[in-house]
Amino acid sequence: MIAHAGHLPGLSREAVRWREVAHGAWGERVVLALPELDAAQAAALCEQVRENARGRLKQMPVARIVDAVDAAVARLLDRDHPLRRKAEHLLPIVTGYDRESVRLGLTGYLRTFRRPQLLRFLAEDFANPAMLDGFQPAAKGGLLRAQGPNLLLHIWAGNVPALSLWSLICGLLVKAGSIGKLASAEPLTAGWFAGLLAGIDPEIGECLAVVWWKGGNAAAEAPFLQAADTVMAYGGNETLAALRAKLPVTTRFLPHGHRIGFGVVAREALDSRKAPALARLAAHDVARYEQQGCYSPQMLFVERGGRVAPAEFAGYLARELAALAHRHPRRALSPGEAAAVAGWRGAQELRGLEGAAELFGEPADPWSVVHVEAAEALSPTGLNRTLKLVAVDDLAAVPALVGPYRAFLQTAGVAAAPERLLRLAERLAAVGVSRIAPLGRMTAPEPGWHHDGRFSLLDLVTLTEIEPGAEAAAEGFASYAD
Amino acid sequence: MTQAEIIEALLAFIARPDASEAEFEAMALQVFAYQFRNNEPYRRFALQRGRTPLAVRRWRDIPAVPITAFKGLTLSCCPPEAASHVFMTSGTTQGVRGRSYHPTLAVWQRSMLDNFRARFMRGRARIRMGILFPDDRELPNSSLAHYLSLARRACGTPDSQGFIGADGLDLDGLLAALAQAEAGGEPYALLGASYSFVPVLDALAAQGRRFALPEGSLILDTGGFKGQSRELAPDAFYDALSAAFGVPRASCINMYGMTELSSQFYDDGNAVCPSVKSGPHWVRSRVVDPLTGADLRDGERGVLVHHDLAHFNCVSAILTEDAGEIVPGGFLLLGRVDGEASKGCSVAVAEFLAAARS
Amino acid sequence: MRFQGRVILVTGASRGIGAAIARAFAAEGGIVVVNYRTNEAAAEAVAAECRTLGGEALTVAADVTSAEAVAAMAQRIAEEAGRLDAVVNNAFAPYRFDPDRRARFWETPWEAYGRQFDGAVKATYTVCQAMLPLLRRRSGASIVNLASDLVARPSIAYHDYATAKAALIGFSRNLAAELGPLGIRVNCVAPGLVYPTDASAATPEEVRETLIAQTPLRRIATPADVAGPVLFLAGEGSGFVTGQVLHVDGGLVMA
Repeated sequence: MIAHAGHLPGLSREAVRWREVAHGAWGERVVLALPELDAAQAAALCEQVRENARGRLKQMPVARIVDAVDAAVARLLDRDHPLRRKAEHLLPIVTGYDRESVRLGLTGYLRTFRRPQLLRFLAEDFANPAMLDGFQPAAKGGLLRAQGPNLLLHIWAGNVPALSLWSLICGLLVKAGSIGKLASAEPLTAGWFAGLLAGIDPEIGECLAVVWWKGGNAAAEAPFLQAADTVMAYGGNETLAALRAKLPVTTRFLPHGHRIGFGVVAREALDSRKAPALARLAAHDVARYEQQGCYSPQMLFVERGGRVAPAEFAGYLARELAALAHRHPRRALSPGEAAAVAGWRGAQELRGLEGAAELFGEPADPWSVVHVEAAEALSPTGLNRTLKLVAVDDLAAVPALVGPYRAFLQTAGVAAAPERLLRLAERLAAVGVSRIAPLGRMTAPEPGWHHDGRFSLLDLVTLTEIEPGAEAAAEGFASYAD
Repeated sequence: MTQAEIIEALLAFIARPDASEAEFEAMALQVFAYQFRNNEPYRRFALQRGRTPLAVRRWRDIPAVPITAFKGLTLSCCPPEAASHVFMTSGTTQGVRGRSYHPTLAVWQRSMLDNFRARFMRGRARIRMGILFPDDRELPNSSLAHYLSLARRACGTPDSQGFIGADGLDLDGLLAALAQAEAGGEPYALLGASYSFVPVLDALAAQGRRFALPEGSLILDTGGFKGQSRELAPDAFYDALSAAFGVPRASCINMYGMTELSSQFYDDGNAVCPSVKSGPHWVRSRVVDPLTGADLRDGERGVLVHHDLAHFNCVSAILTEDAGEIVPGGFLLLGRVDGEASKGCSVAVAEFLAAARS
Repeated sequence: MRFQGRVILVTGASRGIGAAIARAFAAEGGIVVVNYRTNEAAAEAVAAECRTLGGEALTVAADVTSAEAVAAMAQRIAEEAGRLDAVVNNAFAPYRFDPDRRARFWETPWEAYGRQFDGAVKATYTVCQAMLPLLRRRSGASIVNLASDLVARPSIAYHDYATAKAALIGFSRNLAAELGPLGIRVNCVAPGLVYPTDASAATPEEVRETLIAQTPLRRIATPADVAGPVLFLAGEGSGFVTGQVLHVDGGLVMA
């Protein structure tokens, strides 16, 4: 079968050139057709989305957008809806994640975009979300109005299913005309979602498009990069730097680079009863999305002095990963990914010869845990369920071990008593950690979270303020002025 | 077995090209037992893998050490200070070079010469050589310098010359020698690091010069470009060599060797790339899945493992970082195996290191 | 070759059931650590048989109730094999299954219980403690303890022996609960009367016939009958089985 990706209002399927890409996993194959627009089509699409947004989206109350998103998400949450069924069928083949992980992941993620969560999301960033609809009184006096960009370009990356919805919905909530560039590794969900929206509220559907071009293809991307007034991009630092260099200086650039997550386990969480349960939660964070998420843990700092020693905790973790591998088999790895895992594992094994590291699991196991007793700084593992556990005398040592990598920090999963949690959080915040989650929830941020510590909506808008003086001065020109 | 005994057994084995598969296996298991007993880090490695002389019955099950281990560990059966020669890699990891310790070069030299004569000299006793690499006095820790110096001493005519010394490339000397060879009509052999040929090719191109070396002339290159020169794709490289020196691509032989081995691999010319490489009867190569270490089927691409019995004092079984594939008559060498960036938005090792360096 | 490259410790493997178990592992390619207490010649003979069968063997003398001796055995395994995939606790204190001359309860001193406890529970405890670090390094290690169907069905009351084996079953189930989260399985094999062995040599023909008459499969277990279930519980086929007692008595006990 061939599945067409994208959402191209105003363009017929025949008018567009399609690039066919085959994907295979779990014994099935699918061919995806990705749209390749020519320069004229791209420029026209940008103009059209911008104009439609100006004429329609920007005139709508934000509540109507919330309702439409809610309705679209409700359909994707409905396991009997044809599109949901399609997603559950195709996403495992395209991304390689096992069916159960995709199903559970989709549901867990989508439920954070229901109406109450969307409203909370708005309230999180705007003291008065009505300022997206019109001028509202400001606390300091005067009036404030928030405007989203006219044309917001999303450049998505990675294979985590449906991750694109996050920024797409952010853009819609601030009424931005939106064009999303699909990630080659997950080029489906955003287009489906846009199609659903267009069915529910055709006027909204006219204000967004979902496109694709081959990453780095300068000719293909130029029309989009020139037309957008805000660009939200995901990718590695190299990709982001190249992209930034191509943007007009007046374009607002909101990059989300790659990140490394880590966990911290305090000694009070390590008694005979709690430790095995905690190991299970940590293993879940490691296995979900094969550590491909920016929030995924790659290292775990475990405090000495609990009833369960770090070495023993590593043993529990290894076993939980082994058990999870039965329920959620690891994706088939590409040669490069396998080399990364093998390279990392090999290096740990050599350190093990000097007694500096203890390696759990056999080379053929679809997971690896290494435990080291000497404190060491944060570093990435081989990904795909490879974890390093570092013993520390005291949690207080952790901020210094992760601090040098501020640019890569985002999520820390912490298991500690309240007082110590707060004390540690204070210091983690100072070195650049922007999200502290419980173990077991590292890969599932709560609705309205501040991605990379930023205001997801507020960062997109421009405020117009009517100063109190202007308001007062206007009084002087009123027909009813004395 | 004592060191003297293992050396004697190996020299005898190298002298027997008709040795059977079973005899190779028996010799390999003896060498493994010797290394397990005398090489402490390798012993720990084998124990960690659960592959000990007690457990291993086939040469294929002898645990292969990742080649990076030669950088961090002292892999030697004799005390390192008892080594007469220490060969070091040119590439480093954080300033550390890989090292191979040799208590004697007797086995190394026997291995090199028997194989070199069979695969490069092809029945000739001597040939006039031009060497594009410093000699072993200049680079005492370079296995390639020893290799080329030994080739020249044992198989070169007295008028053979080296053209790279302390002052760099002696281009004039080289051109003079080539012109003389061209005129003299006797076959000539040009040997050196692959990257050493590039500036020569560039200089000849700049001068618009070409040579037509006499029939029977040979070229031997090795090691690739390693960032020391421009990178050339294999076809472009051999086309250029062939055009510049008048040596057909079938007579351009690539040697694949490494500091962490005591034997080399050769192809039978590079008329077609990638060429099929193979080693002598005391060496076996496997292609494995990098994750599990399990043998892949012939024709499947994986990572190369070499078992070189001649490397008796260090470790005979090494897991390389070279991609390869087993084909009839040997293996194909398909470049390096590199780790891949994350498919998602987690940071992977390469990007992390790049950021840490900058 | 289900146990190719795997290392299995069998305690008390110089004769009888232990020797049969060792041979069975070797026939599947296993590397068997043949533990014995005193009879070196017998142990070496078992090891030689193991090699003939296609496996490998290492003989190690150790009194399994001595922590020092067992620690030395663990050290030896670590140094020569580098790994341990399964432990079969087969050794037990000397015992004569002689129904005609067995001690009745009022004739059984507490010391006799103590000896059997040491032979069954203390030996298993000591071996498990010492081998645990090696077992934890593998993913999917297994412990198999030899119990007895006399616990479930005291056809003949061997008080001290059967009580100690009952304790061993309780010990094994608790260990299974503790080690499950570490990926190590613990199970018991409970044979009925096994003949011929040194211990059962004194069991008269008449008693054996009576047992056979009551046994659905109409015979008495041989040492080789015990080996099959032990291999099953030590191997991957039982990967999701722990804390169980597998009776090997031709159906005498059904539980």
